[in-house]
Amino acid sequence: MSHRSWAEPWRIKVVEPLRMTTRAEREAAIARAGYNTFLLEADDVYIDLLTDSGTSAMSDRQWSGMMLGDEAYAGSRNFLSLQSTVRQYYGFKHVIPVHQGRGAEHILSRMLIKPGDHVPGNMYFTTTRAHQELAGATFHDVIIDEAHDPQSEHPFKGNVDIEKLARLVESVGADRIPYISIAATVNLAGGQPISLESMRAVREYTRSKGIRVIFDAARAVENAWFIQQKEHGQSRRTIASILMDMCDLADGMTMSAKKDSLVNIGGWLALRDDDLADEARNLVTLYEGLHTYGGLAGRDMEAIAIGIQESVQEDHIRSRIGQVIYLGEKLIDAGVPIVKPIGGHAVFLDAAAILPHIPREEFPAQALAAALYVESGVRSMERGAVTAGRDENGQNRFPSLELVRLTIPRRVYTQAHMDVVAESVIELCEMRDTISGLKFVYEPKHLRFFQAKFEPVRRSAALAPWNQKTSVLSTDSIRK
Amino acid sequence: MRFNTIIEPFRIKSVEPIRQTTPEERRDALKAAHNNVFLLHSRDVLIDLLTDSGTGAMSVYQWSGMMKGDESYAGARSFDAFEKSVRDITGFGHVIPTHQGRAAEHILFHALVAKGDIVPNNTHFDTTRANVEDVGGVPLDLPIAEGREAQSTNPFKGNMDIAALERTLEKYGDRVPLVMVTVTNNSEGGQPVSLTNIREVSAVCKRFGVPFFIDACRFAENAWLIKSREAQFGHRTPRSIAQEMFSLADGCTMSAKKDGMANIGGFLAMNNGSLAAKCRTRLVLTEGFPTYGGLAGYDLEAIAVGLNEALDEDYLRYRIRSIEYLGEKLLDAGVPIVTPTGGHAIYLDAKQMLPHIPQSEYPAWALSLVLYIEGGIRAAEIGSVMFGRKPDGTERAAPLELVRLAFPRRVYTQSHVDYVAEVVCHVNGIASRVRGVRIVEAPAVLRHFTARMTPAHGQLVMPAGFGLGAMT
Repeated sequence: MSHRSWAEPWRIKVVEPLRMTTRAEREAAIARAGYNTFLLEADDVYIDLLTDSGTSAMSDRQWSGMMLGDEAYAGSRNFLSLQSTVRQYYGFKHVIPVHQGRGAEHILSRMLIKPGDHVPGNMYFTTTRAHQELAGATFHDVIIDEAHDPQSEHPFKGNVDIEKLARLVESVGADRIPYISIAATVNLAGGQPISLESMRAVREYTRSKGIRVIFDAARAVENAWFIQQKEHGQSRRTIASILMDMCDLADGMTMSAKKDSLVNIGGWLALRDDDLADEARNLVTLYEGLHTYGGLAGRDMEAIAIGIQESVQEDHIRSRIGQVIYLGEKLIDAGVPIVKPIGGHAVFLDAAAILPHIPREEFPAQALAAALYVESGVRSMERGAVTAGRDENGQNRFPSLELVRLTIPRRVYTQAHMDVVAESVIELCEMRDTISGLKFVYEPKHLRFFQAKFEPVRRSAALAPWNQKTSVLSTDSIRK
Repeated sequence: MRFNTIIEPFRIKSVEPIRQTTPEERRDALKAAHNNVFLLHSRDVLIDLLTDSGTGAMSVYQWSGMMKGDESYAGARSFDAFEKSVRDITGFGHVIPTHQGRAAEHILFHALVAKGDIVPNNTHFDTTRANVEDVGGVPLDLPIAEGREAQSTNPFKGNMDIAALERTLEKYGDRVPLVMVTVTNNSEGGQPVSLTNIREVSAVCKRFGVPFFIDACRFAENAWLIKSREAQFGHRTPRSIAQEMFSLADGCTMSAKKDGMANIGGFLAMNNGSLAAKCRTRLVLTEGFPTYGGLAGYDLEAIAVGLNEALDEDYLRYRIRSIEYLGEKLLDAGVPIVTPTGGHAIYLDAKQMLPHIPQSEYPAWALSLVLYIEGGIRAAEIGSVMFGRKPDGTERAAPLELVRLAFPRRVYTQSHVDYVAEVVCHVNGIASRVRGVRIVEAPAVLRHFTARMTPAHGQLVMPAGFGLGAMT
């Protein structure tokens, strides 16, 4: 019988104290940060749901692996253990470590893309698309339409629409498509999984056209869990065997180990083709580090190798996603509009639905993230128009999804923390009318969401000095 | 005061076993590694002197910093600690972390260097050179002439040739986006740059309005060598000398894997705010968000502590003295090395040790292979394999053929050093039987890391009794 509760399959070994702040402190902090949660000092944050990337708690086994770091510049034994572990669980022959996922994307784009090329993918991701564009390619979204509808309950909203892919191939020609980029899970669709069936269809189609499949596998283990739970005929299989099946359908993979692999830094690029791997090793030496450390300390490679093994444990992944679903269901029960179905690493608030009075030009998701911080000290991340940036004509892109991501770090927060987050969001939704839109005061050229600064369009009770109303969520009421 | 006995200003808290191998095992391992020590597995190496980069032992304070790492993606307090340490030492207002030194170079050159630009340096190191070339720039080495005379005893062989710098700026001023000085000068034997020379470079750059950046990897060792060799600064602390070095520049690149005493990490620091903004834009693409730059929070903590430990006088005295100790042993035994001994390594002069091997057969590379086979010691070639290939694909012999015995910080003891001296003396004794090598396959850029090599005459070491006469 399956329990509804998902008790964590570990106990706590080391803790990190958190600092409570007052509402006045947070108002000052968000103003200093230009209403961009990326620019907040971590010390001013109570519960940090900015990202699940590199924010995990490592296990005692991983920390003991850190002490086994072999810091030899070349041929470190930690590289061998990383290489054999990646081969065992992901199945690729050539394993090239990098300092983090974007290091792998940088090298891959430099290697495969020629100016004027086209790269299809199941929805864009910020750094991935930036590297594709920098190398001279145009990105094309070939995800199914349901992915753009936050209320669609399609179980695999990360699936590829083969028709869309075929239309692109017909219009630009297969020779101008160096690869298709397949992400699992799809972050900006709301952490939505792709099915094995869809991956097989992509493989079959691309094989007939001679197009490579590159797998962005940062959260492939989480994706495997959804396949096990929801895809026909997969329920009795292990996470590890599903993961291997997914990898079998790709020619190469980029990995940010800061997600699934439960580490604070690291990633890798893995390939099957010998010549391509040789080329990648030469490039990695220039930008990252010698190909047996790729810009990582030896100890980091050991922590990744152990993290990979922990990540595919059924108990681990069940409690990991169980915690995300716990938070999501609390919000759904309270009528908060979130992206459905609940994704693997985060709950995505539908800011356009929560703040219908703020026009898209005033970045409702950015405003909602800022207001949530002021209200409760919870740090979230905008994933909407600010993230999407400008198109080639300099116009703001307005993706159909205008979201705030509450991203859950792995093994860091407890159920009580999730309860506080849920209460904060619910309370904020009740005072939604007080939230003002934002406008840019500083806008960087690339990946603007990281460092942009804003100011409220009009006086806003929820962002700027607040009237004397004390909400039930003020930190005083949480403080013991 | 000078000690004859090396006294480490620490005791050992944690050890890592090393493995003895037989000459047969080492021959097999080297064969599997295509006669390139970079391709050896570290488990097959007894004493690893390949590099002092990222190979140091961290202190208890650094490890305790590791446990305090704040892994927040943005605005982590570990960044604040890191930024404060860097600012206290360098004085630069903008501090940008990177995953290691070559990433700082990549970002700086991307922001400053255009195609056809010329970048003068006392001597570019391999990754620096490759990163200048990667953005279409032309790296120009301007060391003083004595920097390239292995036996010269000039105390500051790392100095830049000021007259040559002035000529370059007069001739190509508008094509020079920045001038760099590498401290210490790694490619020329780990030789220091004097404070007087840095002052002169700074003055010339100011006169021509060209930004001056320091490649600061070994800034603390350079500061100590200034203190001990440049008489007028003998009374100053290494910290105050380092602070003055940085105050003379507009910015620096740093590999924290050297004098940051860390196993990974680096940074870019500068005064110019708009240049810093440009660098951060590139940073988020290739490295990470500006408050972590591709490092874990725990790494930022370890560097924050390590930078200060590197300036500790007791540490620096031990560090430089232990290099000098090995140098004295080798000189006493008549082994040709670059003199005076520098900051982080002993450089064997392969041209002198193996005069019968032409540079086209890479004598320093051959020597590095023999050191491994005979004693399990791994050391890096700094010669014509590393520097011989020009961007246009032609081959030109490097000015020096060196093998670098680089010492990881706080890792090996005096008895390890004694063993190394014994092996090197033994190899010196069989030098006439050593033969050259040739390249089987090598990439165009940074080829020494992955090149596949083979003995040029069938065997690397001829049997005993096989004199020079037998070689044709």
